[in-house]
Amino acid sequence: MPVFNLCLKIIRKNWISISIYLAIFLVISVLLSTNSAPKETHNFSQEKAKLVFISKDHTPLTEGFRKELAKSATFVKIPDNTEKLQDALFFRQATYILRIPKGFTENVLNGGSMQLEKTIVPNSAENAYVDLSVNQYWRLAKLYAKHEPQLSEKQLADKLSANFSHNTPIEMKAQIRAKTDQGFSMYYFNFLAYTLSAVLILGISTVMIVFNKNDLRRRNFCSPVHASSINSQMILANLLFAAISWVILVGFCFIFDSKNIMTPNMIYFLLNSAVFTLCISCISYLIGNLLGNLRNMSAVCNVVTLGPCFISGVFVPQQFLGETILKIARFTPTYWYVQANDEISQLTRFTWTDLSPVFYNIAVLIGFSLAFLALSLVVGKRKRLTDR
Amino acid sequence: MIIQVKNLVKRYGDLVALDHLSFNVKEGEIVGLLGPNGSGKSTAIHCILSLLKYDKGDIEIFGKKMTPDAYDVKRDIGLVMQNVAVFDELTVYENINYFCGLYVRDRAERKRLVDEAIAFVELEAFKKFYPKKLSGGLLRRLNIACGIAHKPKLIILDEPTVAVDPQSRNKILEGIEHLNAQGATIVYTSHYMEEVEQICSRIVIIDKGRVIASGTKEELKAMITLGEKITVEVFTIEEDQLRVLREQPGIMSVDYVSKQLIIKSDKGNNNLEIVLEFLKANHIGFGRIYSELPTLNDVFLEITGKQLRD
Repeated sequence: MPVFNLCLKIIRKNWISISIYLAIFLVISVLLSTNSAPKETHNFSQEKAKLVFISKDHTPLTEGFRKELAKSATFVKIPDNTEKLQDALFFRQATYILRIPKGFTENVLNGGSMQLEKTIVPNSAENAYVDLSVNQYWRLAKLYAKHEPQLSEKQLADKLSANFSHNTPIEMKAQIRAKTDQGFSMYYFNFLAYTLSAVLILGISTVMIVFNKNDLRRRNFCSPVHASSINSQMILANLLFAAISWVILVGFCFIFDSKNIMTPNMIYFLLNSAVFTLCISCISYLIGNLLGNLRNMSAVCNVVTLGPCFISGVFVPQQFLGETILKIARFTPTYWYVQANDEISQLTRFTWTDLSPVFYNIAVLIGFSLAFLALSLVVGKRKRLTDR
Repeated sequence: MIIQVKNLVKRYGDLVALDHLSFNVKEGEIVGLLGPNGSGKSTAIHCILSLLKYDKGDIEIFGKKMTPDAYDVKRDIGLVMQNVAVFDELTVYENINYFCGLYVRDRAERKRLVDEAIAFVELEAFKKFYPKKLSGGLLRRLNIACGIAHKPKLIILDEPTVAVDPQSRNKILEGIEHLNAQGATIVYTSHYMEEVEQICSRIVIIDKGRVIASGTKEELKAMITLGEKITVEVFTIEEDQLRVLREQPGIMSVDYVSKQLIIKSDKGNNNLEIVLEFLKANHIGFGRIYSELPTLNDVFLEITGKQLRD
């Protein structure tokens, strides 16, 4: 397959410039994806207060209480000095200072009304968990003391510990789609649209432009190799290059977001990006057939790559873009690719109903691919006939 | 018959590029298509190779009708184009190997042919060079190597010596004669009459898309009335003496330009003797004397009334 081998040689010859593109885009993609990915997750996880625990009453119950608090707070060690404690609150080293006065256990068990001393940072939601723990623990201690007065403090502390060891299992039922931890992947795969477009247009168009030089095309045409064979060898080589580029770029996503490799969302991200790669390959093939020389390629590459990325939500999320811009963007495959990524990132269930919008977007991408392929074949044939 | 072209017509809009062009090429010949720029030589070549659609006519190569899908016919044709058609991304060796690979699948056989082609155009020292590093002459040689590496039976060379230095030109011409000696039939287009005269066994002169004359160079020269061109360095001569000279038997025309007396005479006469006797009898002092036989340019001039390089 001389044409196939030659295509690969031409790509290899341009490999340095392609690699530079690839490296720069990768760094930008990773940086932007890391910074753009939402920091907070929308799944349930308990917040913890930063707690300074000062106990002047050393009993088995206060010790048990301390252990229990550890579940809802992170202990911070600050010396018991008013100024230092105030500084700690001011600088948010601590959000909750809890002081147990001497004789507190005895007072509570005997039905007294002695109170814990607390100093908190105002409006800190996480402190509510500490308040809850305090109330639960000491109310239950009071209850046990009242109804089982024979229990020693140690036994009482054990019973309380056993009581609080039970957790209620919680099952999240996503009534509306819960946001999953696919932030990095979503942003990375969105930016992939830019990287893939630039690299593929550069590589594939270069091959096509070189082959479409009039004299070289004529010389090839004079050979006994069938025109269809020349075309298929070129398409095969370009597809191989596209596949290698896709594997490299996707491989980097696996490295930077390894925890999500095995999620079902990743499978759909991969499927979507693979179809998009095919679509961009067809566009590159068309550009290569339309362009006459390598000088214009850089400008065309920038326009074709950056334009759709700007209006389709690769750099700025689609929800921040105007309706008119999005209407225009619908005529570009990048829009449907980004749409599919957004849908995939929000998937928590994988029923047909949940997946159908993803498949719809992918189907549109396949439609674009077929249209561009047909167009480039028509342009190529027309060019050959006009030349004759 | 290797090539048979009958009544070939090619129009570009209102312009008739080929006007019922007919000629043929026999096995083992070096046929030169000679004509000024724009006469239709390259168009004819492109039509013969099915690179261009033509409006009318028949083209047969190796006895088969030539069409874009005539892959069996293409297998035995080698093409050297007017412009250098090589890949800048490939080295000299890789370029020849690629073009040879379009015809020859067997690797060992291809390697042998590529090495032979490199040796033939004397590019051994430049095997690993990229085309951009080669001079114009070397590039032309590479262009030829790419066209002939697969040892075709028919080689078509479209102005292969354009913008080539004299040394490279001689090497190319010697190479073409060598290829012919090895058994290849050659079609050579050029507007350099000296080249065509030097290597072609038969010449087809084309003008305005038509064949205006064809034959061996001797046959072509025999077609015209001009037999000899005598140039004499004369320091001074009167208009009356010129008129008398013009009336001498066998003299066709007499011109006196820049102290050069140019006399064109008929074939078969002892013109030089007549001229010298006339100069002596009229006491006209003269210096160097040249006598030239007619060239293809004279043939072209007499048939069309214009110079080949007009």
